[in-house]
Amino acid sequence: MSNELASINRDELLLEVKDLKKHFPIRKGVIRRSTGLVKAVDGVNLYVKKGETLGLVGESGCGKTTTGRTIIRLLDPTDGEIHFNDPKIGWVDLAKMERKDLMQVRPHMQIIFQDPFSSLDPRMTVQRIVSEPLMINKLATGSELQDRVAELLRTVGMRPEYMSRYPHAFSGGQRQRIGIARALALNPKLIICDEPVSALDVSIQAQVLNLLEDLQQDLDLTYIFVAHDLSVVEHISDRVAVMYVGRLVELASTENLYYSPKHPYTEALMAAVPKPDPRKRDRPIKLPGEVASPANPPSGCYFHPRCRYAKDICSKETPPLKEVAPEHFAACHFAGELKLRGVLA
Amino acid sequence: MNQSSESTTKSVFEGEDTIIKVRDLHTYFYTDLGISRALNGVNLEIPRGKVMGVVGESGCGKSVTALSIMRMVAKPGKIVQGDITFFRKDKKKNDAIEEINLTKLEGMGPEMRSIRGAQMSMIFQEPMTSLNPSYTIGDQIMEAIILHQNVDKVEAERRAVEILDGVGMANPSLIVKRYPHELSGGMRQRAMISLALSCTPAVLFADEPTTALDVTTEAQILDLMRDLQKRIDMSIVFITHNLGVVAQMCDYVTVMYLGRVVEQATIDDTFYNPMHPYTSSLLRSIPHVGSHQKDRLKPIRGVVPDPYSKVKGCPFHPRCDKAMRGLCDVKVPGLTVVGKSHTVRCFLHSDVEEESTYVQ
Repeated sequence: MSNELASINRDELLLEVKDLKKHFPIRKGVIRRSTGLVKAVDGVNLYVKKGETLGLVGESGCGKTTTGRTIIRLLDPTDGEIHFNDPKIGWVDLAKMERKDLMQVRPHMQIIFQDPFSSLDPRMTVQRIVSEPLMINKLATGSELQDRVAELLRTVGMRPEYMSRYPHAFSGGQRQRIGIARALALNPKLIICDEPVSALDVSIQAQVLNLLEDLQQDLDLTYIFVAHDLSVVEHISDRVAVMYVGRLVELASTENLYYSPKHPYTEALMAAVPKPDPRKRDRPIKLPGEVASPANPPSGCYFHPRCRYAKDICSKETPPLKEVAPEHFAACHFAGELKLRGVLA
Repeated sequence: MNQSSESTTKSVFEGEDTIIKVRDLHTYFYTDLGISRALNGVNLEIPRGKVMGVVGESGCGKSVTALSIMRMVAKPGKIVQGDITFFRKDKKKNDAIEEINLTKLEGMGPEMRSIRGAQMSMIFQEPMTSLNPSYTIGDQIMEAIILHQNVDKVEAERRAVEILDGVGMANPSLIVKRYPHELSGGMRQRAMISLALSCTPAVLFADEPTTALDVTTEAQILDLMRDLQKRIDMSIVFITHNLGVVAQMCDYVTVMYLGRVVEQATIDDTFYNPMHPYTSSLLRSIPHVGSHQKDRLKPIRGVVPDPYSKVKGCPFHPRCDKAMRGLCDVKVPGLTVVGKSHTVRCFLHSDVEEESTYVQ
């Protein structure tokens, strides 16, 4: 895909991922012999521009979370390149970096987790939780540290007086704000938002989404927004990547992806979203079957057994991710030819 | 606790026949922290053969309402006041309607046990925790059939296979021998639905049945439920906070807030003519897919107050943009009919006031 990227100025990019792979061994028996591989992420190519939000969607088990975590090296990649445009030292390949060198780059990459109940240590006060990244990186001590934590809590809309309390004293929405404050502590450039609102109530979701948008404006942040709720992703993302069984099937601007998709899977995904309008009830496209197993994927295009447009070639050859329109990428043999319906059809 | 005479009157939903009527239902939980007033005078009607959505934020009493009607509220919870009337249609007696006051029955007594599972059933959110991991799918469906339908094991297994086939499960005769952990999330939810439908209930409570599923699987399960509902003509009470699912599935909607019903209306009125400020704020707070919308979302300010505290006046007034001082913070509005099949509990639309009915 990198060849087609010539049109984009590399200075505008923050991240470029090439052929990223993350395979997990399946172990069996007493000696834990490896009997197979779960190819959770199997050749992901994508790029992220500075200051934008890239949505990453797909069904559960498609590798969205693993992709997010591998990009910031919470998981070590099996293969591939992760180029990150560090504001100080310029382009680096995170995939090849040693753990100790990573320490320099890590402050620029943070993550917000899905479950605000298990992602905060119940035995730490809010102050400890938010100040930990500052202490580890030796950026502040004493009263300076306390001031910074207070400032961070104010940034996410919480009262600093609460910093001596423990997580259990807060509601789900407030806990998610604490998680966001912790992620902001080191002034990151890139934040992986891993389903940050899916555990929250509808009305609280809106508060947290608005907060994330405000912070992006004020602090010049770039988000990779991993989620399965397509209405939330449409709302927050500038561009969206759709994953299926460890691979990207489509990558385009939100507008293009939602209203003129080029991959049959995207079309089916859009058709499945329940629209909050009782006067629009017909659903023209049905997607039968279930997601293929990443331990034993089908031949050719992984989507072909469920695809209504599949032809002979689809079960034989794997379609590469190619640019079918400017900055609109799809991995389908018939990407340019098919007339597909968007979310409104 | 006297049986009110109006329980036999017509439904608030025009042209509908009521199957369950709930009047002034109070369910409290007596915990170490104090009394949690989960339901605070719930009044609602479930129409026969239709799908009714119940929406509201977490903690507003959606699930407790369903559990109360099913008489499955466990200690320290207790129904302290109110009536739940079940209008049972007896097919053997020429569709004669029998009125049963469920609150008068013993929760675990023989009458209630003959109704639960046979006449009323429930599907839960997380199929993995609501199916028994140590029995096969077939065993669990057969248990319900044998218990309620007086058939032998061979016939029960035949029916179990038939039901699984009916919910679109591939290889049903193989699935009956499988354990829950051997199935995927979508298949487990299908198994759960089979179990709930095994005795063709008149009322099905579906408590967030698709929340744990992917959109594509969700769409399959919703299609299935709509199909089954038409085929066996049952009432479905669809508890969810996903307004998209409500719009696609329901005929009527009940909106709950802090243990009360604040609005009941047809699906079209709920989305196009909501009367209660809470209903309209809920609709405004969600991103609408396909709206090209990039403006900011409008969250409802504040949070649901904890159920241990008492809010004076209308429970929603501290978060309401249209609250009127001296009225909404003092008096509790009563549920009033404001239009065809439309009731609302708000002073913007009526002066009717409700006596506060807290029970200690």
